[in-house]
Amino acid sequence: MDIDDILREVDPVSHQIPQETRDLQDLTRAWVAERSTPELLPWPSNGLFERINDKIKRQIEKVEEMTGDMDPKTNFALIVIQTELERFKYLVRSFLRTRIAKIDKHLLHYISNDNLRTRMSQIEEAYARRHQLLLHNHYLNSFLGTFPPAMQNLNDTAGNISMIDSPDLDSAVFIRLLKDAEIECHGVDVDGVLTGKEGDIVILRWSDAKGLVEKGDAELV
Amino acid sequence: MALPLPPGLTQNEVAFLAEMEMVTVVPRQRLDSIDLLGGKTPQLRPPHRAQLPLWLALLLKKQRRANIVPPAWMHPASLAEIIHRETKEDPEAFSPPPPPPSRALYSQPGTARRLNPSYLDDFTQPQQDSQQDPNSILSPPFLPSNVAESPAGYLPYHWLEVAEALLTHAGDDMPAPAGEVRSLLRDLVEVRAAKMRSSTSALEGFGDAYLTLRGVGAMELAENRSFLAGLVDGVRKIGASAEATRREEEEEARRGGDYGGDGDEDSDEDMGL
Repeated sequence: MDIDDILREVDPVSHQIPQETRDLQDLTRAWVAERSTPELLPWPSNGLFERINDKIKRQIEKVEEMTGDMDPKTNFALIVIQTELERFKYLVRSFLRTRIAKIDKHLLHYISNDNLRTRMSQIEEAYARRHQLLLHNHYLNSFLGTFPPAMQNLNDTAGNISMIDSPDLDSAVFIRLLKDAEIECHGVDVDGVLTGKEGDIVILRWSDAKGLVEKGDAELV
Repeated sequence: MALPLPPGLTQNEVAFLAEMEMVTVVPRQRLDSIDLLGGKTPQLRPPHRAQLPLWLALLLKKQRRANIVPPAWMHPASLAEIIHRETKEDPEAFSPPPPPPSRALYSQPGTARRLNPSYLDDFTQPQQDSQQDPNSILSPPFLPSNVAESPAGYLPYHWLEVAEALLTHAGDDMPAPAGEVRSLLRDLVEVRAAKMRSSTSALEGFGDAYLTLRGVGAMELAENRSFLAGLVDGVRKIGASAEATRREEEEEARRGGDYGGDGDEDSDEDMGL
């Protein structure tokens, strides 16, 4: 083995971060981001959730195997694995529940727009469509059926106001800057330009912060 | 079932996040490396120290299989210095966050490089770094800011949660009696909470576009998040029509200015004749 390889193993930093740790970091960041923004963020694109689901399934199988063992030495490892598994499952569950809450709040908005539809995963999109259908049929059966047919739509845009609720994109969010950046911000009385340094925590409108977060120059906190 | 909470992390979720921070541990028993979903744990061989996530360190401590080494910033001298800085030197803003961690470069002896290489660095990175994803910038809770080697005199982002957890479960591992550290922490909490409150009072008539809170901690953010966000959103909604008229006026002024320039040129040419 080359001296470089040996040293790379010993020095934990220049050694590349392993895929599992990076997955955990990505999952955590996606969870925090999803919990903090008012609108639905795009589904993580690099196969993150498929990998995590696979790993969770395999870990559950491993736990079932080890439980049959009942050896005091492996018992402790079992407890650690189960604890970590519960933590992972909590993250995944909370992430998915947050997304469902956002989709439920603005069903028609996310289904009707093509760009926004791509933000959902396939299962979420199917869920949204079925939910919307059920809801509309329920309304029709309860009271909407008594309206004249011209008024039975739920996506009326007459009178310059759309019936479809969309999320408030100007809500305040807290971000942490990961690089020094200049951000143009809009306010009620003045518009300002913020010169932020790395590590700053700022309150902004989500519409101003969105570009930075997507580029990766800032993260939600 | 959908999550019924409003946007923003609650205190319980922040505590959950803080448990992912790494701390230094002195094991008392041997333990092999376990294959976890988040990576392999290091092999524990006493008396060598190892770095583990906080939740695992607390589990080991409860079972008396390890002792936790408190980070350097939790020492009473360091806490007293931070309190002094918060009260005397900078009574307006919070104390600065820890500096970004650096490591020595193996390939260029004598040079140091930051753990998060910024595109402004002009060090030539060694070969393996150029393969690293440029988007993988580390940030709390994945920065090593609570291990024994962390710099003293700076409060990392999850300071309150980590300090409380260590005092509750590993009080005997502290460098000083737990009561002393706890009272210093209480002072620090009060000073910073007062600063937070005064910063919100400065938000009266908040018309600015942004507000910077450099150095604030995670739990402080979580406690005040709903209030601050509610305030900023409320002011925005109340001033929405005023803002709309202001923007229209600015738009008019810009367009009016353009027309005015063309008119002047025309009149000048006429005058020239």
